[in-house]
Amino acid sequence: MKKFLLCALVVSLLCVSTSSLAAEKKPVVGLVMKSLANEFFKTMEEGARKFAAEDGTFELIPVGMNSETDIDTQINAVENFITQKVDMIVLAPADSVGLVPSVKKAVDAGIAVVNFDVTLDKKAIADNGLPEDFLFVGPDNTLGSELVGKYLAEKLGKKAKVIIIEGNPGADNAKQRKEGFMKVVDAYELDLLESTTAHWETEEANTVMTNLLTKYPDVQGVMCANDSMALGVVKAIEAAGKIDKIAVVGFDNIEACQALIKEGKMLATVDQFGPEMAANAIKVGFRILKGEKVSGWEKTPVEVVSKETLR
Amino acid sequence: MQGKNIQSRKWLHLLLNEAGIGLIFVVLCGLFAAFVPNFASLNNISNIFTQISINTVISTGMTFVILLGGIDLSVGSVLSLCTILAGMTITNKALPFPFALVGAVGASILCGMICGFFNGFVAEKWKVHSFVVTLGMLNIARGAALQISGSRTIFSFPAAFNAFGTMAVGGVPVIFVMAVTGVSLGHFVLKKTVFGRMIYAIGNNEEAVRLCGHNTRKYKISAFVLCGACVGVAAVMYMLRLNIASPILGAGFELSAIAAVVIGGTSMSGGKGSLVGTLIGAAIIGVLNNGLLLIGMKDFARQMVTGLIIVAAVVLDTYRVRLSRLFS
Amino acid sequence: MDKIASPRLLQIDNVTKTFPGVKALLSVNLEVRRGSVHALLGENGAGKSTLVKIVGGGYLPDPGGSMTFDGAPYAPSSPYDAIIAGVRVVHQELNLLPYLSVAENIFLDSLPRRGPFVDYRKLYSETGLLLSRVGLDLNPASPVELLSVAQMQLVEIAKAISTSCKLLILDEPTASLSSRDAERLFGIVRALRDQGLTTIYISHHLKEIYEIADCLSILRNGEMVTTRPVSGTSIPQIVSAMVGRQLDSEYPVGKTPASRETIMEVRNLRFDGNKYPVSFSLKKGEILGIAGLIGSKRTETVRAIFGADRKKSGEVFIGGKKVDIRSPADAVEAGLSLLTEDRKGQGLVLDMTLANNVTLAAPDKVSRAGVIDMKAERLSARRLSAELDIKTPSVDQLVRNLSGGNQQKVVLAKWLFKDANILIFDEPTRGIDVGAKYEIYLLLWTLLEKGKGILIVSSDLNELMGICHRILVFSDGKITADLERGDFDQERILSYAYQNYID
Repeated sequence: MKKFLLCALVVSLLCVSTSSLAAEKKPVVGLVMKSLANEFFKTMEEGARKFAAEDGTFELIPVGMNSETDIDTQINAVENFITQKVDMIVLAPADSVGLVPSVKKAVDAGIAVVNFDVTLDKKAIADNGLPEDFLFVGPDNTLGSELVGKYLAEKLGKKAKVIIIEGNPGADNAKQRKEGFMKVVDAYELDLLESTTAHWETEEANTVMTNLLTKYPDVQGVMCANDSMALGVVKAIEAAGKIDKIAVVGFDNIEACQALIKEGKMLATVDQFGPEMAANAIKVGFRILKGEKVSGWEKTPVEVVSKETLR
Repeated sequence: MQGKNIQSRKWLHLLLNEAGIGLIFVVLCGLFAAFVPNFASLNNISNIFTQISINTVISTGMTFVILLGGIDLSVGSVLSLCTILAGMTITNKALPFPFALVGAVGASILCGMICGFFNGFVAEKWKVHSFVVTLGMLNIARGAALQISGSRTIFSFPAAFNAFGTMAVGGVPVIFVMAVTGVSLGHFVLKKTVFGRMIYAIGNNEEAVRLCGHNTRKYKISAFVLCGACVGVAAVMYMLRLNIASPILGAGFELSAIAAVVIGGTSMSGGKGSLVGTLIGAAIIGVLNNGLLLIGMKDFARQMVTGLIIVAAVVLDTYRVRLSRLFS
Repeated sequence: MDKIASPRLLQIDNVTKTFPGVKALLSVNLEVRRGSVHALLGENGAGKSTLVKIVGGGYLPDPGGSMTFDGAPYAPSSPYDAIIAGVRVVHQELNLLPYLSVAENIFLDSLPRRGPFVDYRKLYSETGLLLSRVGLDLNPASPVELLSVAQMQLVEIAKAISTSCKLLILDEPTASLSSRDAERLFGIVRALRDQGLTTIYISHHLKEIYEIADCLSILRNGEMVTTRPVSGTSIPQIVSAMVGRQLDSEYPVGKTPASRETIMEVRNLRFDGNKYPVSFSLKKGEILGIAGLIGSKRTETVRAIFGADRKKSGEVFIGGKKVDIRSPADAVEAGLSLLTEDRKGQGLVLDMTLANNVTLAAPDKVSRAGVIDMKAERLSARRLSAELDIKTPSVDQLVRNLSGGNQQKVVLAKWLFKDANILIFDEPTRGIDVGAKYEIYLLLWTLLEKGKGILIVSSDLNELMGICHRILVFSDGKITADLERGDFDQERILSYAYQNYID
């Protein structure tokens, strides 16, 4: 499967590069995405494509993975882009350490590299001889979860009983989102009954929540690290007949959750403007190409989505 | 003669052979009931029923395939594809509800059967091990699900459909009733019909069955188709339970199903096993998930303990087999 | 005679082995003298295999008995213990790995090494030495799958004597050998004895005992009946000790002549690996034998007729009508049945009950709308068990637990239940003891009375001459003779069998 993807990639690269040679030599941007199976990244990729089509001044080559942890394919993609001498690589790393050496190679080859979505590991950056304040374009996951958490806490009041449903243990955004939730727990002196993972998955979140409801029938709020899990959690609460008593917040703002928010079954979620995120990263990249010196964290907006803010 | 002795031996044999794993299950439940508050509450038991239903139905199909010495790794992805097709049908505004419902269920089961047929046909026609074919199907079905759905979650099913999913018959969740019906039907087919007899016989000695003048290929492909049909049913149950259809769901379902089958005492090399065992196997996994969480065990510890108990159950099972041989 | 007087290597005292519901061995005593060839005889189910497994470490005996080996107490708890002590068993079912070389098979447990690598030069030279001891002229590097059964047998023996082996146990070594190969094996066993090796030799072929054994012991129903020197013991004495009764003759003489009506005709059958077209016919009520050396494509021919393997061309007529047989399913449909040489591997589902096996070829006869009527199934199985005199506690017994002769009867019962008209037997009595053989011969004759046609492939020429109406002789895939009963003559048949190999 990987081989196949690789072949497809090489072929498409060849086509693109020859056609672009024949044309007026537009700058080429390589976009390395995480799993396109994830709705969030899918919309992000579509946003980038749309931006490329509307802008028309550059050539976009997007590459996606099979799963969120498919590091090899990402490394291969970056190295292929280096060989193809693209002008810019825009990268959402599947692993914040594993991709750093490839980034270093690309930078050394004179390619503008924009790291977005998930930040590269600080120590790995230093170890590989890249500047410590290496550019990162992305949302503040911690801030996002803190905002939505606050929204929940305001609703429930201080010392409310809450549960956190975490993402994949080890994933950076999962850690950051939990961190944001934990800030709220401290600030509002919430009674954290349990914090456990459901591996980003709907069915598992449903099972875990159902079981936790048995253990903690008096829970008042649930903070989920993504919307897929929120779907399962809401369903579990609904099945237990407590949909009016327990408030749920999520993260990502997927369509299915918007519907739940409208129905009042879910309190809020966080929009990190996925469709624009890759496009934003590309825009920052062009600033570099024009000679501007950009470094550090270029934050992209995060916003709480609730019944009031939904049209 | 010593009729009584033989009779009691026979019972002991039956107990060890059929109910050995059930004993482990009962002990496990007893322990949880004793130490975990609310574990034995009606509500919690009903929750466990709901939670094991989908795996039970998938495992039922998987049991047929494993009894033939095969394996189906594609069940999770195929389930996802089935939900997408069924979800698109049932949310199709052009169809009146009853038609949409029948169409969705039909599409789901048909899709499962077609994928199963592909698995079985390729495995049999070109003598490729089902491990490889179904590994391919795992990717094919996942890709198809993502492609067809545009990698988007489908939701907003008709209210009547969603309401049916949360219904309970005398306290028993409706999807568990479906699961038990499925297992019972499967058990009947395996133990009482010619088809079931052939499954066991082929699993034990395919060549002997072929030389008896049976078309073993037909039976083997049928087992995969049946497994696919079970996945199609499980997909509808998934939609009833969670009211969504998604191209990313079902990852890892194949492993839970295989675990349930193996814990249930079905031999991976085929020919031996039963659906009673599979049902208990699925129940053991469900009870562990539930009980360990209620105990308050943390994520990683829970994962390790579940793994250890799966291994222990299977190891204990080998002793059970030895014991039951002594009394056969 | 001095061999018998030499000190004992193995002594078994009062060994009993009980399986659930069965006493397999009952306080058995046995002494095996050093440097002798000791024959172990008995009907199937008499306890020979159990005894061998106890000596070889496969089974633990019941408490109470004892064994001494080479002067020390001996109680192996695994085959490995037995091998360490110097006991090697060569089983009837060969245990070689087909894709590995002869040398690798022989030294599998103790490959000579140089550092982390296998020392192939040493491996091959040591293998060469061992092969010459068993009289094999083979390339040590050739893969085992290319060898004949006889060669594999000898490789097994070579493997057995590769370690410090003091006692070699051969379980039915000649069961799959042609008589020429068997002769060669005897020569090797004798040579090994002259080098000081002690052998326990198990065989159903009584004549072989006279060729190589010094002593013989006879088991009957798990009890040791007698141990005595071979010289001075006659075949009838052995047989009556084994079966506990007097047998009139080894073969029941058929009374009914075959009819003139042809039940099956094969015309110009060709299949891969054979240069010659095969044509013959079988009559109703006839037993037609197929004789030939091992490898003369007798099995391949019957498998091609049955559709078990692909055929290239040729026609088969059943009852005058042409039938297109492309698979066993077609063959069974046409009334054919094939009772293969490998009963356990191809004829039976060992882990199913007797009743399940009996109905295996025709489950529809005891089912309605695909649902099996278990009661009717058991009844049918009981009826056939009684008819064929299958010895079993119940029809719910797993076939695995039956003796070889009874297993063969179950296969036969299966085809009788299917009501097959033409029965093709491939080595029907291999590994079956004298008493059960006789019963099977009798059964064949009763089948003839029901108008069936029987085709028998056998390597036992005496058997064919004893029971057949007619014998076809195969020589390297070609039918070189078609002999009527009056023309049966061992030498003549053999010369036909060799005919096509001479040039």
